[in-house]
Amino acid sequence: MRTRTMLLLGSAALALLAGTVRAGQYVDWNADGTATLKLGPEYDNARITVPQSMLGSAFGPGKQPFKGVTISVTVNGAGPKGGISGPLYSFRPIWEEISGGKVNIVELPFAEHYTKMMLDLRNGTGQYDAFMVGAFWYGDIVPAGYGYQIDELMKSGKYPQWSYDVMPPSLKTLHQWEGKSYGVLNDADGQVLYYRKSALENPEHRAAFKAQFGYDLPSPPATWQQLLDVSKYFNGKNWDKNDADPDSGTVLHLKVGEQGHYHFQSLSASFVINPGDKVTRTQNVYWFDPADMKPLINSPGHVKALEFLQELHKTGPAAQVGWSLGEAWDYFLRGKAVFVFSWGDVGALCQDKARSKIQGDCAAAMLPSSDEYWDFAKQSWVKLGKPRQVGNTTGGSWHGVISNYSANPEATYSFLSLMAIPPVSKLMAMYGWDGVDPGFSYQFLKEDGGTASLDEYVKAGWDPNDAKTYTRAYKDLFYAPTTLTYLRIPGTFEYWDILDKNLSAAMSGAKSAKQALDDTAAAWQGVTNRIGRDKQLADYRAAIGYKE
Amino acid sequence: MRWTGRIRFLFLAPAVLWVLAFTIFPLGYSLYLAFFKVEQKVEIKRVQQPVLDEQGRPVLEDGQPKMRNVVLRENVTTATFIGLDNFRRLLADPQVRDAVRVTLVFLLLAVPSELLLGFLLALLFNRQIMGRGVLRAVMILPIFATPLAVGYVFFTIFYEVGGPLAWTGIPWLSNPTWALVSVALVDIWQWTPFCFLVILAALQGVPDDLYEAARIDGASNWDLLTKVLVPLLTPTFVIVLLIRLAEALKLFDIPFAMTGGGPGTATQPYSMLAFRTGLRFFDLGYASAMAYGLLAVVMVVITVFFRRMRESYG
Repeated sequence: MRTRTMLLLGSAALALLAGTVRAGQYVDWNADGTATLKLGPEYDNARITVPQSMLGSAFGPGKQPFKGVTISVTVNGAGPKGGISGPLYSFRPIWEEISGGKVNIVELPFAEHYTKMMLDLRNGTGQYDAFMVGAFWYGDIVPAGYGYQIDELMKSGKYPQWSYDVMPPSLKTLHQWEGKSYGVLNDADGQVLYYRKSALENPEHRAAFKAQFGYDLPSPPATWQQLLDVSKYFNGKNWDKNDADPDSGTVLHLKVGEQGHYHFQSLSASFVINPGDKVTRTQNVYWFDPADMKPLINSPGHVKALEFLQELHKTGPAAQVGWSLGEAWDYFLRGKAVFVFSWGDVGALCQDKARSKIQGDCAAAMLPSSDEYWDFAKQSWVKLGKPRQVGNTTGGSWHGVISNYSANPEATYSFLSLMAIPPVSKLMAMYGWDGVDPGFSYQFLKEDGGTASLDEYVKAGWDPNDAKTYTRAYKDLFYAPTTLTYLRIPGTFEYWDILDKNLSAAMSGAKSAKQALDDTAAAWQGVTNRIGRDKQLADYRAAIGYKE
Repeated sequence: MRWTGRIRFLFLAPAVLWVLAFTIFPLGYSLYLAFFKVEQKVEIKRVQQPVLDEQGRPVLEDGQPKMRNVVLRENVTTATFIGLDNFRRLLADPQVRDAVRVTLVFLLLAVPSELLLGFLLALLFNRQIMGRGVLRAVMILPIFATPLAVGYVFFTIFYEVGGPLAWTGIPWLSNPTWALVSVALVDIWQWTPFCFLVILAALQGVPDDLYEAARIDGASNWDLLTKVLVPLLTPTFVIVLLIRLAEALKLFDIPFAMTGGGPGTATQPYSMLAFRTGLRFFDLGYASAMAYGLLAVVMVVITVFFRRMRESYG
């Protein structure tokens, strides 16, 4: 007995000397009031040390507040080292150790995730505690009362601490509904332009481009029209010496059902959005007329943007009509295209030497602007004297929303929040494989008004120039004075599916741009009538902040 | 006698219940959905209940009963009769027209090809050729593959940049016309062996005497084929055709995995449209009407075929 006591005392003294009160397999509770989260090889065995208070008062050495509790979280299926699903696997053992609970990660194919979630919610099965949702699902989740409001949990101080204050307003609004909070910070989606700086700044190409087009090769292009010229110039030439084959201008992912319609949304924004200080019937609108829910999707601005996209498609591989985003990204990462416009994943993947041949030559910028836009009020085109770039939050900004049927919302919230605390969120945004993209203040560099340093990116394996342009592009994108409004009303999934199918038909040549968008508008009218025009109008106005 | 009379019904009960639960009920419920607009709302109440041990006594924790969260749900369903609205919509919907066109073109491309190829292969395998047993076993392997997996495999085969068929220069999946041809080719690959197998079995049932008698009467090979074998095999052809038509009308897995129904809606068959409508957009009433539309077409096809068979063969 005495020996045992001595041994225990000795161990405690050793632990204190080493600065550790309790060392676990995944978490060390340190004597200085910090805790160290120990990640696996997928994050290069990173150690994240945070104040214990950041993990919330419910957690601490010897506490396991959710012992015996099992929660289930659904996510787009991409595996333990895949986009969005990967971090759940990485942080599961940490949460299980500090909480005593268990997490079931339910991977569902992207095409079925929404369906499975809605079946669970509509039938009230309550099989899942949370869903890693795209923000465009909110219209189907929150107004119907399927989402669990998290304001009280956030305020309680019991669970891992994070805040919406780090988000640009354009992203914050995607996590809330009518001022109430539902989404736990995770991913920030928006599309920027990635370009091969070395190609655009090559003197030989600059001279040849000027001779062909009569103006200096812009790096990066400021307008879409310039981008098309540059793309045409480079398409079909072997300007990248990684292989003997000719390379492309712009690569797109256009397979139906695989998020190709986001390209159109991001590109067309500057052809369509009429700038203004607030949302009016003609300013800052994109989807519907907020007076009567008449679709705007076949406006001359939208049609011209689609015709432009059809032209741009010709400067990439014809097969991209059947490509998902992974294939388009790999094409760019292999050095086969001079441009791709896509999400934050690409910038981070450029740094992954296993997939990328272009680290250090993967510059990013906010998307170009059209040199004209369609004026909804005057019903005519307006020529722009200088480019007017339009921001976007295009994509899902995939994050956790707790089911209202969850018997354990506190446990679920604490698991999701563990991945939302600033040091974790910052680390995740630096890795390309995990699908978590930057958009929060601690991910932007100090010189751009954030709190991150370039050294941190370099330590995480980034090329400094790539990191600088990447973080600045996202800062500019999310804080742009004019932004594409985000559609998140009931039926958004269906509206976008219809758009996606018609865009795909236009890109494959089966329909003209006008026909595709006219068909979209007609089908949208049907959806609006079926769900209820008045109801949709009210939700749409609330979603975009329109007041009569 | 009376007892045994009753007990036989008891033995039939599982089968009857099975059919009622899994065939009749869904059929009836979907018919109901097609004529009613059903809205469902779930009301939620959160309560705390004590955790009980195996003897049903409350589990204590620090002297207090250990509690667990329980979510109580109450389903509130409202149904409004909308008559034939969904069926009217079906007739006017351009998406339905597109899907019907895709399905019909697919049927015309795939089913006759499968039948013809199956017949030719059966003729080949009906004679003595080297390694016939092994080849026949290999030939029928595609039938056992899961259509969804087949779709994914052929997605990589038809991959246009660096895929095994990229050298052809054919836009297998990016061109609307070729994409549908690709789907048909995969279906032909998978289901020709079925036609082959059934027709081969029928061929092997033809008695040798008939061949000999025809030969004695001076029949050429062509005569043998067209005047003996084809008439004899017609009932088999009809059955195979019927099965393949009914299956092909329900085409879903291959385009779902291979093309997602695209480009655009170029490879979206009717059943995929019904699936999207019901389980993606939860327009269940309209999806049920679509399903009944398909059922009506399949019924007509089957009725016509059986009538023709009865007329021809009594």
